[in-house]
Amino acid sequence: MASERQIAANRRNARKSIGPRCGAGKKRASRNAYRHGLTLSVISTTAVAKQLDKLVRKIAGDSKDAMVLERARAIAQAELDLARVRRAKVALIERASAFGELNPPQLTVTQMIRLLNAFDRGRLIVPKPIDALATMPSQEPDRSAEAVRRVLPELRKLDRYDRRAAAQRERAVLEFSDRMKYMDNP
Amino acid sequence: MPRTNELTLLPKLPLLITESADEFDALRDAFEQEIKPRGIIEQIYVHDISAIVWEILRLRRCKVVIINLALRSALQSLLKQLLRQSGQYEYEVEDEAQTLAQSWFTVQEAKKQVSEILSRFDLDESAIEAEAIRRSSADLELLDRMLASLETRRNKALGCVAEYRASLAHQLRESADRIIDGKGVLRLEDAPSERSTAA
Repeated sequence: MASERQIAANRRNARKSIGPRCGAGKKRASRNAYRHGLTLSVISTTAVAKQLDKLVRKIAGDSKDAMVLERARAIAQAELDLARVRRAKVALIERASAFGELNPPQLTVTQMIRLLNAFDRGRLIVPKPIDALATMPSQEPDRSAEAVRRVLPELRKLDRYDRRAAAQRERAVLEFSDRMKYMDNP
Repeated sequence: MPRTNELTLLPKLPLLITESADEFDALRDAFEQEIKPRGIIEQIYVHDISAIVWEILRLRRCKVVIINLALRSALQSLLKQLLRQSGQYEYEVEDEAQTLAQSWFTVQEAKKQVSEILSRFDLDESAIEAEAIRRSSADLELLDRMLASLETRRNKALGCVAEYRASLAHQLRESADRIIDGKGVLRLEDAPSERSTAA
């Protein structure tokens, strides 16, 4: 654990930092908060906005009450958010099934050491590209299952967004039905 | 079953290329038959429950396949341990174990030979499955957590349908009571007097 003096020194040094200076650094830092866009509002395209409006109208019926419309919008938005997370899950599995993995293969530590040792001895080894696709089963359902296995950590992360959208929808439905009750019996 | 107007408003469930849209529709129809949703909110819940159950089935299928896919490497590792004589290193029996593990799936003779080796140590084929499960335990654990989370969400959604329906029933009962009591409804006998007052 850092001592008081170290903490103070870290804070002093941090104050001297004015963030990234070059264009590339600034560009990179501008995307710090961005990961996959699943927390962004769903109304990003006209088509989605239209679908949202239709769903809101269907949920609210012919009510003109602003609160009812607002709650209906919250339900519809959560529903479309859920659909977006589900699309993302399927897209990840399909990509892993097509390419064997999501990220380009990295060299392992052992391979890296081997390369460096060879370089020290004056030999240059060109590493063979790792073909993740070669280890994918060719037949179904083995291939899909292996694809799911390879993207399990990502699927687990998406699950969190899934749960959040579902919880938002449940809350909105409760508030919607409370408001409808109130409208019926003010 | 033809899709109702409300269902066309809901976003379609994305399926894997290898999954069948007809099978998903059949699953949703089965839930619709059971729950008999009324109104768009209940339809949303039924759609959600069907999507969750579809995902549960997908992950359960994966679980079985993941274990099956690990069988060969599990058998190879087990054979290396069993074939090794005292004073021998594992790499010395590696080739034999690999050949035997590969042919175990297709050649009857190899299957017999593996059974013999296993029985020498009072083991049977369940030892291979156990090793396969052990080797894929990290993946299986993740899958189990996801399955548990999906099952909780499914139960919650089922509870929500019941809760929403109860709340709607209560609301309808209150409306009906008000109509019967005549509160907020124009009584027929009052109608002429009200009209004459207005005049």
